[in-house]
Amino acid sequence: MADEQINGVIITFFSTASAVGKTLISINMASELAREGYSVCLADFDLQFGDIRNYLRLTPEYTITDLCESIQADSGRPLMPLLTTYSYEGVSFQVIPNPAKLDEAYNLSPETIIEVLKNLRMQYDYIIVDTTSMFSVLNLGLLDISTIVTFLGIVDFIPTIKNMKIGNETLRTLNYDSNKIRLVLNRSDSKTHIQLKDVVSILGEDFYHILHNDFISARESIATGVPLVLNGQESELTQELRALVARYTNKGYQTEETRKRDSWLSKIFK
Amino acid sequence: MINNNVMLVEGNRLYLEQLSNIIRETETVTLVARFRDAKDALGQGVVFTPNIILLDADNPNIMSLLEEFRKTYPNADIICTGEKWSADSSSLYVNAGAKCFLVKPFSSEELLDAIFAFSKPTTGGVAEAKVMTFFSPKGKSGKTTLIANLAMAISRKTNASVGIIDADLQFGDMAFFFNLKPQSTIVEAARDTDFLSPVSLNSYFVPVAKNVSILCGTKEPSLIDKVSIHSLETIINMARTMFQYVLIDVPAGFNPTSIAAAEMADTTYVVAMLNGGYEVQHIQRSLDIFTTWPDYKEKVKIILTRVEPCTITAKQEMEEVIGYPVAGIIPNAYLDVATAADDGRMALDLKPNSPLSQRINYLAGRITKEKQDDKDDF
Ligand SMILES: Nc1ncnc2c1ncn2[C@@H]1O[C@H](COP(=O)(O)OP(=O)(O)OP(=O)(O)O)[C@@H](O)[C@H]1O
Ligand SMILES: Nc1ncnc2c1ncn2[C@@H]1O[C@H](COP(=O)(O)OP(=O)(O)OP(=O)(O)O)[C@@H](O)[C@H]1O
Ligand SMILES: [Mg+2]
Ligand SMILES: [Mg+2]
Repeated sequence: MADEQINGVIITFFSTASAVGKTLISINMASELAREGYSVCLADFDLQFGDIRNYLRLTPEYTITDLCESIQADSGRPLMPLLTTYSYEGVSFQVIPNPAKLDEAYNLSPETIIEVLKNLRMQYDYIIVDTTSMFSVLNLGLLDISTIVTFLGIVDFIPTIKNMKIGNETLRTLNYDSNKIRLVLNRSDSKTHIQLKDVVSILGEDFYHILHNDFISARESIATGVPLVLNGQESELTQELRALVARYTNKGYQTEETRKRDSWLSKIFK
Repeated sequence: MINNNVMLVEGNRLYLEQLSNIIRETETVTLVARFRDAKDALGQGVVFTPNIILLDADNPNIMSLLEEFRKTYPNADIICTGEKWSADSSSLYVNAGAKCFLVKPFSSEELLDAIFAFSKPTTGGVAEAKVMTFFSPKGKSGKTTLIANLAMAISRKTNASVGIIDADLQFGDMAFFFNLKPQSTIVEAARDTDFLSPVSLNSYFVPVAKNVSILCGTKEPSLIDKVSIHSLETIINMARTMFQYVLIDVPAGFNPTSIAAAEMADTTYVVAMLNGGYEVQHIQRSLDIFTTWPDYKEKVKIILTRVEPCTITAKQEMEEVIGYPVAGIIPNAYLDVATAADDGRMALDLKPNSPLSQRINYLAGRITKEKQDDKDDF
């Protein structure tokens, strides 16, 4: 890819409930894409309490704060040296860790972060973005710029389903192309008495993909710092993760420009 | 039934007419006398034996008038009326013997609410509520479950009035926990703050038990725009005079809402659920911010949920690891909690003697007794 400029695919993981697996799955998606030979950058935009540096056991020298400063300085210097490399048994990808300090996280400008992404998307085949579970100015910007948004949900108790429904409806009001947003169910079969078919009928929409609950593998992966798709154990969950990646890399999907819209949240937190 | 004989004292000619009409239209209430001049009311009103006095607080001499009215009408309830509520002036009036404050013009409902509002038992001055904000670094900390159960436990233990404010402005779940479909929420309360007083704000709270009521959260995330930080602060200030305990649910992480609520609270609880991840680091990261408060030791407390085994040793170990006292631990009770929430009931009610209920009751006891020694108490 020497002279040729590529405009990479941005895949954002979003949810309207916490602890649904955004971080775990985004890490595995980045790992699997890297394993398949793509150039990949994984961004932790859970700025305050991001877990990517934790789940991957990174001790980064630079963070998103440095990338933002570099972009703002407008020096034209390449951003890639400011990324952190994760590698495991020959598979490697780049990471943008969240800021080291909370006050940095609180003060970063969403616009600058989006600029960083726009710059980096020319350098990578795939940029995988991890977020927080709310409609913040930053998250709306990330949703806009993304090629695909994976809207993750779990079925544990009623309020979570309410929030999934409201979140999904809110996403629809943003008028993205219908195949840009993919509803993915994580931790299916976990302890609950709520029926999946009831959830589907509440949402009025089928899940695009389903990932099973595998508490032991998930916990072990976090404890060892090795992504599921790289640890050599071909569990059911691992295969479902690979299958999800295969569906995303399918040539059938084409990136399309998203339509313009008025952002009702553009005013908040300002 | 006791008669509600109202004497209206109102300096403004237009308000005098308008308010008189409203009082006359209000059932179970009789307007027995009305005066523009407060001195007339003091001298001549006695013959009408009012038991409720609506006193114009926009009168510049309101403080000395209040004293004179108290002396002349020792058995009447005095309700101050004014064009705008403010926390400071209304607590001055209440301290000086007024029952409460009403923003004028008021409606019949608001007048009745004010007349029948139970006066908070005051010990000398106004009993200001203890305000508690429940902060969590990340979501799914178990804090909504904790707040709901704790509120019930506090009110049962002490018979105190408890208010819950759901300021988790995008995805507040409190209404769901209590199976409510509220007519009014924090959005309407915020819209109306300029015209509200604690008495009228009360009608925006939905009662869920004898002494527990909830100001429910937004119905959809875009409504976060409608609740400004300023109006949230006003609501918290009013709630402080309406209840004896106020519990506030806020969005996870540091954001304008959680910061404002934490700064206004007497106690901020940092709540995290133990799930074998990096919650300790997240708590420590949050404490880095909170410990910049000069009085953080008294104000900031930690509660851990889903602690297994839920023992004093576990608590002490966590204190060691975190490097900060742990005020309470809540056991793992996933099924109880989820079953209760799905039915709109409290885990506390479903299993009053479960380990979860015991820990919640213990915390409620600590909050209401305000014991200071956080040491080896479990
Ligand atoms: N398929 C799964 N089976 C079992 N456990 C899972 C699965 N996916 C995720 N988990 C577990 O769920 C927890 C939350 O996962 P994760 O941290 O990735 O969620 P998140 O959406 O990023 O949360 P947050 O919003 O707090 O950042 C972790 O403990 C993880 O191990
Ligand atoms: N003590 C507990 N033990 C086990 N599970 C619990 C406990 N308390 C709460 N939970 C479960 O954890 C999940 C989150 O609980 P809850 O909604 O109270 O947390 P929250 O911090 O308010 O979450 P949110 O970020 O969605 O507002 C629910 O599935 C609930 O049933
Ligand atoms: Mg995460
Ligand atoms: Mg909650």
